[in-house]
Amino acid sequence: MKEEIIIAGFGGQGVLSMGKILAYSGLMDDKEVTWMPAYGPEQRGGTANVTVILSDEKISSPVLDQYDIVVALNQQSLDKFGPKVKKGGTLLYDTNGIHNHPKRDDIRICPVDAMGATLEIGNSKAYNMVVMGALLQTMRYKLPMENVVKGLKKSLPERHHHLIPLNEQAIRKGESLI
Amino acid sequence: MTEEVRLMKGNEAIAHAAIRYGCDGYFGYPITPQSEVLETLEEEMPWETTGMTVLQAESELAAINMVYGGAATGKAVMTSSSSPGISLMCEGISYIAGASLPALILNVMRGGPGLGTIQPSQADYFQCCKGGGHGDYRMIVLAPGSVQEMVDFVGLGFDLAFKYTNPVMILADGIVGQMMEKVVLPEQRPRRTEEEIRLQCPWACNGRKGLRKHNVVTSLELEPSVMEEVNNRLQARYREIEENEIRYEEIGTDDADYLIVAFGTIARISDKARELAAEQGIKVGILRPITLWPFPYEAIEKAAKGKKGILVVELNAGQMIEDVRLAVHDSLPVEHFGRLGGIIPSPDEVVRALKEKIVNK
Repeated sequence: MKEEIIIAGFGGQGVLSMGKILAYSGLMDDKEVTWMPAYGPEQRGGTANVTVILSDEKISSPVLDQYDIVVALNQQSLDKFGPKVKKGGTLLYDTNGIHNHPKRDDIRICPVDAMGATLEIGNSKAYNMVVMGALLQTMRYKLPMENVVKGLKKSLPERHHHLIPLNEQAIRKGESLI
Repeated sequence: MTEEVRLMKGNEAIAHAAIRYGCDGYFGYPITPQSEVLETLEEEMPWETTGMTVLQAESELAAINMVYGGAATGKAVMTSSSSPGISLMCEGISYIAGASLPALILNVMRGGPGLGTIQPSQADYFQCCKGGGHGDYRMIVLAPGSVQEMVDFVGLGFDLAFKYTNPVMILADGIVGQMMEKVVLPEQRPRRTEEEIRLQCPWACNGRKGLRKHNVVTSLELEPSVMEEVNNRLQARYREIEENEIRYEEIGTDDADYLIVAFGTIARISDKARELAAEQGIKVGILRPITLWPFPYEAIEKAAKGKKGILVVELNAGQMIEDVRLAVHDSLPVEHFGRLGGIIPSPDEVVRALKEKIVNK
């Protein structure tokens, strides 16, 4: 089995670190993983995306143009990557600020109010982990929370480890949105 | 000891692998997309553990000449840069090759020409495999296709550099520098002692202690007959390298009608294209040269036997294709597909190009 995912949004939304935590969670679950950012002179407010592949077998191309799951966190990303969801795949997007909603009927579409849910938690920095929770719910690979927490530990510097309970809470909140 | 599996960017992996190898010194100057090499070394602070020197030089010229100096003393030294920075280093590389010194140079290629872009490219193939600097010299050029190979080629690169007292280049594209994958790092090796260096590098300028004649390391020789001899010795060594060090990987070439030749991460994009093409009933095999110099001419000639055509996929306008054509002597159609300026082709694009340029031609 293999799951090919792209996470796309604004720079500063935590897209790359969310991808990293997902990749680490996969690693902790004994999967083969690749994490490939569209790197560039990008910064807060620009666009950012990262392709994460989890697989039982050796991964060939780290770069794709069709995905099992697209996570889109702004209108630009939704327009660009929405059409690139494989037939039968999943399009997960945050409804916040979206005016053109996707209309495909050959895929599963999961609109979530991730920004609203993050505000309920009361810490806007947990936004990407709320999205991560929703993403984990839509994936075919069911990554156990203990491995996700291990992934968090591996990808966060130790000075931020006191924030792991908050992140876990945000992930659970995100899971409840699906 | 159990091996620890870690997730790392290719650039970070290079830094860790250098420390683990027992590298004596890194001299570099930051440039995207490889700045993480220097950053990771600074974070790891190996001068406090193995005693490795890490220095940000004032320029690429300074860095490569620090490598030249360090190499002349028999130390395992390296530098890293990206395309425009490598251009600046080419004079120094030619001197290092002319003086027959071991050194490891990493080039994480970005789009050119000129300052170009910071996105991935493979447009330095000619520069790194055919020359770059002046004079009849060769570098052993290793092309990693995964983060694990970035790690492995640091050790292999240093070993080959010392075996042949010749500079070795790891020629990576921005993709493998920036992507993260699982890696297993080798165990920490101690840096060589002065005594070990004296034994292994009798040519090194590391103090004669009254025990031998002084060594001279230079690329300058004004007497043409002597200089011709120097060149003949270099050429003899290059023939030996061609004899012993050709490396490549084949995927599904036996049972295929078509062949794709590609190096680095583009070989992996092509491998995905191979899977997609198979779904459409097109049987393709992949040959991935791992050493770009020495080039696997015979392996390609052999793999091409019975095939209907070859597509060479590169992130450039057609460079390695010249060597592929030399390998097969016009015995079958050889076409090129490439994207330029930092654009990465998708596996579907490779399949489309294969059909357009070869299969349906």
